[in-house]
Amino acid sequence: MSLRARVDAMKGSAPPRTRTADPAPPRNFPFRGNYLPYVAFGSCGILLFAVGFGLLRLVWVLGDGDATRWKAIFESYRHPLYIVFHAFALVALTWFTFRFFRLFPKTQPPKLGPLPRPPDAVFLIGLGAAFTVSTLLVGLVLGGALP
Amino acid sequence: MRTLMLKLEPVVWGLFGAGMFVAGLLYPAFLLVATLMQPLGVLAPDALSFERAHALAAHPIGRVVLAAAVAFPLWAGAHHVRHVNIDFGGIGRDAWFGALCYALALVGSVAAVLAVARL
Repeated sequence: MSLRARVDAMKGSAPPRTRTADPAPPRNFPFRGNYLPYVAFGSCGILLFAVGFGLLRLVWVLGDGDATRWKAIFESYRHPLYIVFHAFALVALTWFTFRFFRLFPKTQPPKLGPLPRPPDAVFLIGLGAAFTVSTLLVGLVLGGALP
Repeated sequence: MRTLMLKLEPVVWGLFGAGMFVAGLLYPAFLLVATLMQPLGVLAPDALSFERAHALAAHPIGRVVLAAAVAFPLWAGAHHVRHVNIDFGGIGRDAWFGALCYALALVGSVAAVLAVARL
């Protein structure tokens, strides 16, 4: 007469791994489907760093009270490499902004306070209007048209 | 380090979201006017003269806008760069790389507050 099989006879000595392999990017990443714009969107973080630290440098020079250095920075911006970089950053960050605006409604909960979430178009119109107004305002102030 | 970053994730997300908005609303105009139109001579020569820029920046509203315009986008940038690194390099080196990204954003944010305080 044989012994009854134990139900845990095949159980391992340690809990099993929940994954068979470390997470890895899909095949042909990032050149397939929507991966390229996804990676480009993420890579705009480098531009945010570059522009943020560039702006910090300008504010720092203003704080130093050094008008000559301030002028020299703007003179250096005339270099073709700077022009190309800033033009690229302008196009890339504008695209980045509108992609973010398109994604933003999807990140919102079904209810915003007591009200249901408005349709995506409402968000897009509101964000587009905010972008237009702020860009005009900042442009006019920096450009000297507004005091 | 990884546990600390997980604990700080909600704070970082708040800064990241604010950074996306601030960068989206302010950077295109800044890039267009200050880094392209001014050097190319499209604007009046004194539009961004030192005296005018200093007066704009030293105004209380100017200080708040500038501090926000520098600090928040750095957090958005840090979060994006960290996640691109995860996408390409896996989670293995995220602990030190993510910490480096956020450390850069933190240093930049502190420097931004100091910079506007010096105006």
